[in-house]
Amino acid sequence: MTTSTGPRGAVRSDRVGAVVLFALAVLYGLDASRISYSFSSDPLGPRVFPLILAGVLALLSLIYFFRPGGSEPWPKGRLLASSIAVPGLVLVATILMEPLGFALAVTLLVTGVGRIFGASWRLALISGAVQAALWFVLFRYLLEVYLPGGSVFGF
Amino acid sequence: MDLSYLWTGFSVALSPMNIVIGFVGCFLGTMIGALPAIGPINGIALLLPIAYTMGLPAESTMILLAGIYSGAEYGGRISSILLNVPGDAGAVMTALDGNPLARQGRAGEALMISGLSSFVGGILGVVGLTFFAPLLSGLAVGFGPAEYFVLMIFAFVTLGSMVGSQPVKTLIGCVIGLMLATVGLDATSGAYRFTFDEPELGDGIEFVVLVIGLFSISEAMLMLEHQASGGSVIRIAGRTFARWADIVRCTGATLRGSVIGFVVGVLPGTGASVASAVSYTTEKRISDRDGTFGKGDVRGLAAPEAANNATAAGAFVPMLTLGVPGSGTTAVMLGALMLYNIQPGPQLFAERPELVGGLIASLYIGNVLLLIMNLPLVSLFSRVLTLPNWILVPGILVLSIVGVYSTHASMLSILMMLGIGVVGWLLRKLGFDMAPIILGFVLGRVMEVNLRNALAISGGDLSILFQSSISIVLWIMAAAVAVLPFVLSWRARQVRAAAPQVP
Repeated sequence: MTTSTGPRGAVRSDRVGAVVLFALAVLYGLDASRISYSFSSDPLGPRVFPLILAGVLALLSLIYFFRPGGSEPWPKGRLLASSIAVPGLVLVATILMEPLGFALAVTLLVTGVGRIFGASWRLALISGAVQAALWFVLFRYLLEVYLPGGSVFGF
Repeated sequence: MDLSYLWTGFSVALSPMNIVIGFVGCFLGTMIGALPAIGPINGIALLLPIAYTMGLPAESTMILLAGIYSGAEYGGRISSILLNVPGDAGAVMTALDGNPLARQGRAGEALMISGLSSFVGGILGVVGLTFFAPLLSGLAVGFGPAEYFVLMIFAFVTLGSMVGSQPVKTLIGCVIGLMLATVGLDATSGAYRFTFDEPELGDGIEFVVLVIGLFSISEAMLMLEHQASGGSVIRIAGRTFARWADIVRCTGATLRGSVIGFVVGVLPGTGASVASAVSYTTEKRISDRDGTFGKGDVRGLAAPEAANNATAAGAFVPMLTLGVPGSGTTAVMLGALMLYNIQPGPQLFAERPELVGGLIASLYIGNVLLLIMNLPLVSLFSRVLTLPNWILVPGILVLSIVGVYSTHASMLSILMMLGIGVVGWLLRKLGFDMAPIILGFVLGRVMEVNLRNALAISGGDLSILFQSSISIVLWIMAAAVAVLPFVLSWRARQVRAAAPQVP
């Protein structure tokens, strides 16, 4: 019996999720059984608790497999690409922080993500420049938080 | 009862710096709550690393985060009422009667009534916290490792049976959190576990990296899909002062909501979403004689608002006395304490009265500040609703990078933040909640250490877990909570079968 009321695609992604979680339980359990140690002051040692967790996760993922339901439909096409682009831009901006400096990298990030969230080029660029300046002043001078620095602008 | 900790606390919370910090927390919290897409847990996740790296002392960080937490519970009503888009699960019920009231041109009144019941719920919750927390911590001093381990079991069972519509997903979330907590050096044996020979993983997965990945990166990805459904903001028009008769009519609903909220808050892991849902359905059953609930009944607005604010205070009870968070948001705050190398537990009241007292005192001050801020300034906060996502989301991402970078300046932590964020997004699409993962993570080490210590005491004999009367009571409570949903659904079926068929 399934409790799902959703469309078939949702059930399928639940099933895939359950299989992945089961695989995770197995891999985690295998790795746990290989933990090497010479001495432990307690009778249980460092292996048993992780092994219990692996067992519990395996059991729960089986239940999940046979009683799926409740997942959302996946984004398609452009929306999916945009969803992936968000963490992608964060990665690019972080890599560029060393060579370009905080302000430029943030301008790039804010402009790019702003575009993804529907701003026009003009507004996204303005938002990028303004936010870069605001965050820089806030963190550097008001809150004195360490910022990843770059060389080009001396930040 | 010894309340001296509270007086110490007021002297801490009333220091000029902490008053300013508390005010900033309440203000930011109300804004964060009013933002349609994010709630208290996202706000705290974003601001925690920055508070930490600014070098604030632990009690000031707690005052800041507590201000954000209570502020966001106040602010959540603004987007629910004016926009019909709740910022987080705890504000969903507020929209049911709040938004219809706003559509009838009574937005100002709705905001005032909900502000007042938020205040009553908040203050009653803090009073409960003040008296209940020392009692519980006195009781918990008798806890040994075995009792603690069983307590954790109870916490996870409560979570599984009360949070979310799918217990399996909630429990899987807990186990994933527990697994993440096992990564790194095992202090008892000196073994490295699941580090894949990566030296940076030796200390385990960094809390800040995990929290920001789960609550900020995955949130940003999700907001992309959910942004299309935005409605229009209702302008605050007409009278802004609630009718006296309406306020009187809400008294019962507000008081009941406060009590329900506090009790649900004290239960481990169950936060505002459960509290406001329970209080709304209870109030509907008690008061809804004319079928006005859902069409703009002030009582249906007052009950969940009182409840979610009382929950915020109640959730601190198990967190401060047992080290078991009472909600997802307090789980993040517990992780914040761990950053300061403070392990909450029954000793906390004796050892750090300035921290516990300061936090509790700041909640009294904060609720008064919030009432003042939220009645006259509500139209100011409602402007936040028009902030477009193309400004908000990049801002969240900048804060995330700075937060992670300022606490652990390494590329690996940024990569892990992104990886965890993408996995979090996948899990959320599958209908998983992120809070159980955090709960499992902050409880993981304590749970394992206590299990192993208990068995070290007994020499490997498992019966130690069932020996003391405290453990037995906890096992019975866990069993009761586990069967509760089945009993309730069975009873509901009985009632439905017995009721006459209504066409």
